Amino acid sequence: MKLLERLAKIDRRIIFLLVGLAAIIPLLIPIGLPVDITKPVQNVYDTIESLPEGSIVVVSVDYDPGSEAELYPATLAFIEHCFRRNLRVYMMGLWPAGIALGNDAFAEIAPKYNKEYGVDYINIGYKPGGPVMLLTLGRSVADIVNADYAGTPIDSFPLGRAVKTARDMSVVMTFSAGDPGILHWIIYFNARFGNVICGSTTAISAPRQYQYLASGQLIGLLGGLKGAAEYETLVDRKDRAIAGMDSQSIVHVLLVIFIIIGNIILLSERRKK
Amino acid sequence: MKRTIPLIIVFGCGIFMLISFFIPLRWVQDTSQLLQTWYLGVIAFFVFIGIANIVRVNVNKIQRKLADWQYSIILLVFLFVMIGAGIFGGPEGGLFNYLFHNFQIPLSATMFSLLAFFVASAAFRAFRARNPEATLLLIAAVLVMVGRVPVGYWIWHGFPDLVEWLMQVPNTAAKRGIILGIDLGLISMALRVLLGIERSYMGGKD
Repeated sequence: MKLLERLAKIDRRIIFLLVGLAAIIPLLIPIGLPVDITKPVQNVYDTIESLPEGSIVVVSVDYDPGSEAELYPATLAFIEHCFRRNLRVYMMGLWPAGIALGNDAFAEIAPKYNKEYGVDYINIGYKPGGPVMLLTLGRSVADIVNADYAGTPIDSFPLGRAVKTARDMSVVMTFSAGDPGILHWIIYFNARFGNVICGSTTAISAPRQYQYLASGQLIGLLGGLKGAAEYETLVDRKDRAIAGMDSQSIVHVLLVIFIIIGNIILLSERRKK
Repeated sequence: MKRTIPLIIVFGCGIFMLISFFIPLRWVQDTSQLLQTWYLGVIAFFVFIGIANIVRVNVNKIQRKLADWQYSIILLVFLFVMIGAGIFGGPEGGLFNYLFHNFQIPLSATMFSLLAFFVASAAFRAFRARNPEATLLLIAAVLVMVGRVPVGYWIWHGFPDLVEWLMQVPNTAAKRGIILGIDLGLISMALRVLLGIERSYMGGKD
């Protein structure tokens, strides 16, 4: 009983220390836990596999550095998959800070597959306006886009000239940390133009997307770092998401232990009363 | 007149945009497109209003030496340094890229990562089975927490399927109910604005 009383009054800095250790140690000494593949992630992979070479995939980088740890590994794995399949990537962003992260992803992957900017991939930059912008973009890209992210006229790039309306976009893949993001693509772009939408979200916002998966408005979903790890497994790219899985597993187990201890304390307090 | 004319504009534009969704006539679609392009133009001004507001609030804080006023200096300095680096060096510019990769990314990631520590502390102290509803929530949370990471699959191969079922059936049912409620509220709010019943967006008194 004394132990429970002590635990009830534990200094929260000890909890912080335990969480820190649980996160760091598996990164230094990997366990190599197996990563299973869930259906929503498999669907994203199958959608990309089913596209003919040269198809245009819109990648919308709708997050900022705050969600980089969760969504950037998914961005890398997805772009690698597109390039490996010789698909063309048309990048944009509903969040201003996402554009630089998207460029980082291109810089990391494109040289590996000898992909050329403007021909195989392009970044048209940050596009404000949320739903209204997406509705206009789907109807007439020229009304929204006249230059790439760096200000170079869009018509000077073959890929820039190739995308005129939503019909030219085979798949939209949004990496979304909130609003504006995946919901706008589903509610406005899919509903109005019928484009195939896939998504990657932070773990906290993944549960909200399941209703759209059920209705078929969202074809596939990478939920959090786990979704990214599954995608890395599918595209055979063992990188930071898989590396982070051991760490995330141990932290989750620790949280469950904390919850159990907390509830044992509650039960013992009730008995005393 | 100061109130009537804006109300007429809101009513006219709102009703027009609403019916344009169902009328595929060329002139209707073109006018709808034009109104949306105007909206995008107006949005560009929001950035300036936002920056002006940040500057005003923080300059005021510095002048009055309110709590933590020193942070306002840092905020304003970096605000203008980033703007200057972006305008003069472009998005690929050395200083802009340096600040983005070496300040913004690590600082934002750090702020977000702190959540894990607070969640752990809250899980220990507050996530208690005090009544049947809380117990149900707690069981679901524990199952999802374990089943959504590889350790769950390692413990029992059926764990991920169980979690997927939880997400697809009970979670989706509850979310749909909540979202339908929110959307009905949004529709009624939009109608109130269109019909001029809700006027608070115009500011001032009725």
